[in-house]
Amino acid sequence: MATYDWFFNALGLRDWCDASTSEAPMSMADLLAETGNAVEEPFYAIPFPSLDALNEACGQITQTRDVVKGLEEGFLAIRPALRTILDPITQPLSWMLDGTLYLFTQAPWFLIMAMLLLVTWYATRSVSVMLFNAFCLSFFAFVDHFEPAMETLAVILVCMVISAIFGIPIGIAMSKSNRLQRMVIPVLDLLQTLPTFVYLIPLIFLFPIGESRLYGIAITLYAIVPIIRLTDLGIRLVDQDVIEAGNAFGMNARQKLSKVELPLALPNIMAGLNQTIMMSLAMVVIASMVTAPGLGVLVLRGIRNLELGVGLMAGICIVLLAVMLDRTSKAALSRIDRAKSKTS
Amino acid sequence: MLENTPKVKLRGLFKIFGADDKSVLPHVQDGMGKEELLEKHKHVLGLQAIDVDMQAGEITVVMGLSGSGKSTLIRHLNRLIEPTAGEIVVDGEDVTQLSQADLRTLRQEKMSMVFQKFALLPHRTVQQNAAMSLEVRGMDKETQDTEARKWLERVGLGGYEDHYPSQLSGGMQQRVGIARALTANTDIMLMDEAFSALDPLIRTDMQDLLLELQLELKKTIIFITHDLDEALKLADHLVILKDGAVVQQGEPQGILLNPADPYIEDFVSDINRARVLRIRSITNPLKSKKFAGDVEADDNLESLIALSEGDTALTYRVMSDGEPIGELNMRDLVKALVPRISSTQAA
Repeated sequence: MATYDWFFNALGLRDWCDASTSEAPMSMADLLAETGNAVEEPFYAIPFPSLDALNEACGQITQTRDVVKGLEEGFLAIRPALRTILDPITQPLSWMLDGTLYLFTQAPWFLIMAMLLLVTWYATRSVSVMLFNAFCLSFFAFVDHFEPAMETLAVILVCMVISAIFGIPIGIAMSKSNRLQRMVIPVLDLLQTLPTFVYLIPLIFLFPIGESRLYGIAITLYAIVPIIRLTDLGIRLVDQDVIEAGNAFGMNARQKLSKVELPLALPNIMAGLNQTIMMSLAMVVIASMVTAPGLGVLVLRGIRNLELGVGLMAGICIVLLAVMLDRTSKAALSRIDRAKSKTS
Repeated sequence: MLENTPKVKLRGLFKIFGADDKSVLPHVQDGMGKEELLEKHKHVLGLQAIDVDMQAGEITVVMGLSGSGKSTLIRHLNRLIEPTAGEIVVDGEDVTQLSQADLRTLRQEKMSMVFQKFALLPHRTVQQNAAMSLEVRGMDKETQDTEARKWLERVGLGGYEDHYPSQLSGGMQQRVGIARALTANTDIMLMDEAFSALDPLIRTDMQDLLLELQLELKKTIIFITHDLDEALKLADHLVILKDGAVVQQGEPQGILLNPADPYIEDFVSDINRARVLRIRSITNPLKSKKFAGDVEADDNLESLIALSEGDTALTYRVMSDGEPIGELNMRDLVKALVPRISSTQAA
């Protein structure tokens, strides 16, 4: 006798309900009841009319575990179709990641260091930032963490480039269309608020473990959000007077974008890029659970095997890497700001 | 109109701001006022029944207080704002009928604009800013450079080519704005409160610069201002706007001497009339035989008062290009100095 029998009796559905006696495996409570050891439940223990409780009263109602199973089967059913679409699209991401990883791990250390410092100088023109970066890179090498650090850096750089390639055009399109903005913002909110583990689950099923695009996509999805937001914001904040001047001199939409809007929005876009880099770094550590290489693997080892020292050393390297990336991108940003309002 | 066909002709121009401007237009055409329109139909009346002719080679000044629709008016000429109804004829061509591509060509080749807040590109040098209009048109780099350099030199910014706008003072930034408009080499220049953001001394400098350039270039300039002194100094043709409608237009001296309604009388009552009025405007036909002396028709009254040392009994012969064109009695001069104010007389 189940709690909600009366409901189906009242609706006159008893016959329909009993037409199919549930063949689903018994629940733990049923098993207990059959052994005769059922605990006498107090009168206030009325179950919420959940799927399971209703199923007890009427065999036609599905149980929750069937719904869960349905979700899984549904996902597995569309997986081949999704994979036929996604596989070729995302394949270049794997190549980029593998190629960059190969470059960063196989090239001799002095070449990589020189290249990174050169890039730093080109981007920031700041001696102090360059010295700091040289110190950090030497530290990684000194404590024999150079290779994992470079792996992490390689992954971050690739994801940053991908985020910029997709994020900036999306941001521009959003700034031009209020409707698109209304549609995209909830998606961005979702990507930012979803616990990162949640979207690792479907990704594991979509892409074979061990392929680098698996973590590449996970990181990019997480890190692309700020650059989209700030590109959109930056272009919307461009001084309307200057845009009007562009109009008055007969600029077309493309000229306005390239000569007025993008240059004036550049500081905001660069701030977005800085955020994107920092979020990639956060995610690349978590993504080590799905085979992302680098310092995250060491952190994970520290957690799994309770190797405190390994975890701490990797943690210190991650912090240094974070400060390095942040300093460098901020210095590049302020160089742009300075160029914009040059006061000799 | 006796003169040749006007360069820019506005006919029956209406602008109503709001979601459904076309449908409330008939109400406005039937004479509904600004307040009533806002209350009953939630639409804002921008411009109503504007008929203005702007002659080639003249400075047409549109003057009005803030909210009178003057900035709205100037933005109709290059259709930065779309009119609700009416015609905007430039060189015989109705701007309202142009396609977007033709409109861009018009903005590139026929009209340039100078803005109140300068609206320069902060990430570009003065030189690059001045060359912007040519760059938009796709001119080669060399022409851009020589033209921009030439006009920067002309507005007194030679040597500042490689500075950035933020390194310059307001007055110099606006010189860049003017150079940018001149580099476009258009017949028509739209100046939207171009000097309003500058301090008074710089403003006088800029007005002199504009008049000096105009003497040589003979552009068709449409100048927006809220400052009557500026309007009287620059205008060949003065249009006074109030609540989106033209209250009076014509030759500025004429408006000063014969204001059409109390609104304009209030406007003109604070002016130093002796400095603004020209002898030409109050000259009578030749009658007398004896004159205290000859004066130039284009001199202002102040100079004549100084010449006569305040003696009101004298009569002067008015000369223009060496020919006598009339006479001026000092009594008439003194009368002209007193503004005719019907509102204060009534009070």
